[in-house]
Amino acid sequence: MAKIFIVAPDAPMEEAEQLKSRRTLSSGGIRLGVLDNSKSNADHLLNLIIDGVKKEFKVDSVVIKRKPASSRPATDQILDELAKEADLVVSAMAD
Amino acid sequence: MSSLATMLKAPGALHEVDDDPEAVFEFLCSKGWSDGLPVIPPTPDRVERMLSFCDRDFDKPVVKIPPRFGAATPIRVAANAVMAGCKPEYFPLVLLALEALAEEPYNLYGTQATTHPCTPMLIFNGPIAKEVGINAGHNAMGNYFRANASIGRAVRLALVNIGAAIPGTGDMATAGTPAKFSFCVAENEAASPWEPLHVELGFPKESSTVTVIAAEGPHNINDHESITAEGILTMVAGTMTITGSNNAYYAGQPCVAFGPEHAQTVAGDGMSKADVKQWLFERATLPMSRFSKEGIERRFRRKLPEQYATAPLDAPVRMVTKPEDLIVIVTGGAGKHSAYVPTFGNTRSVTRALKRADGELVKSIQELKRG
Repeated sequence: MAKIFIVAPDAPMEEAEQLKSRRTLSSGGIRLGVLDNSKSNADHLLNLIIDGVKKEFKVDSVVIKRKPASSRPATDQILDELAKEADLVVSAMAD
Repeated sequence: MSSLATMLKAPGALHEVDDDPEAVFEFLCSKGWSDGLPVIPPTPDRVERMLSFCDRDFDKPVVKIPPRFGAATPIRVAANAVMAGCKPEYFPLVLLALEALAEEPYNLYGTQATTHPCTPMLIFNGPIAKEVGINAGHNAMGNYFRANASIGRAVRLALVNIGAAIPGTGDMATAGTPAKFSFCVAENEAASPWEPLHVELGFPKESSTVTVIAAEGPHNINDHESITAEGILTMVAGTMTITGSNNAYYAGQPCVAFGPEHAQTVAGDGMSKADVKQWLFERATLPMSRFSKEGIERRFRRKLPEQYATAPLDAPVRMVTKPEDLIVIVTGGAGKHSAYVPTFGNTRSVTRALKRADGELVKSIQELKRG
């Protein structure tokens, strides 16, 4: 059968930017960040995760931030605060 | 500027398939580039013809579409418009709608990825809607009319193919809505007793605009009996007040699309659009007790404490948080019906006017024809 060309209607995923800085854990323990998406049961799930992390690792501090609405991105302020106050961030949703 | 042929030499820009419509359709479906219905094969010649009404650089992204944040270049959008069955003169309106959807207040990421069954409702106003044949009369929200069907379809295909709103991964809608195939109307300005939507929003009457709403499918409002504004609006308010609506919880902008006959009756009693919005704001309410006990506790009291933490069970739950949030249009043909269109809630409508590259309003779609 004869062949034809068609134009691709899709778009490739752009390559993610490389991390601009390396995260190194402080010698004491983890500064754990938690981003709650504000769904009804997200806080319960995240508290279970916090308890689990604490059992496995030394945790110096926990900072919890909550999005005002689950269906909107976290604000720059929330992300900046998490970047400043946490070594790693757990983000999860539950409903 | 490079020629289209040069641009199509980019890796991945073209695919070779059997010269057979069914084979092309099978191929596109196998790649996930589909809404499930047959399409026109987007050959380079057809894409070039579609771009004959495009005054942009063909390979420069107009917007990026989440959740993949795929770059919506005119070439890629044109391929989707060909697939959808658009005429080339529809193409600027497809791009215009995508630009409106990408504005932050619309919340395209949230509306693409949500479990809620929302989809863009495209409302066109102004002379170009009539020029290209977007139906505002009988069955305006339904089938049959090529412009309504294919413009809305092209936008949805772009959201799927470029943005990766793929059911189950990028589009998590629990059950979705048939409106996801296409939801595109024009306002019936000639039959409306009120100023059209774009004029109400401050655009010149001679401008041509699209207003995008993150909409559910429409719900009919049948009222053959009422002969007063109060009667018709009572029926509208009754249709608006439903417990399962996101508009009961969020500051969304639902839409009442009056049929021309209902609109004439309401306006005939001296009510302006603002009066209608105020009336419905005050009366489209449900007592909180109509919601489940769990909903009252977990949604209203816990998540909206400023309004409901200690509110009595008969406290009114409003379907719009302020009167001006209600969008009112007139569309459709003869008959005693109107429609209510609930929304995603956490979204704002966006209206954009069609402009040339030099920023001037487009008065006729022919101004955008190349060459």
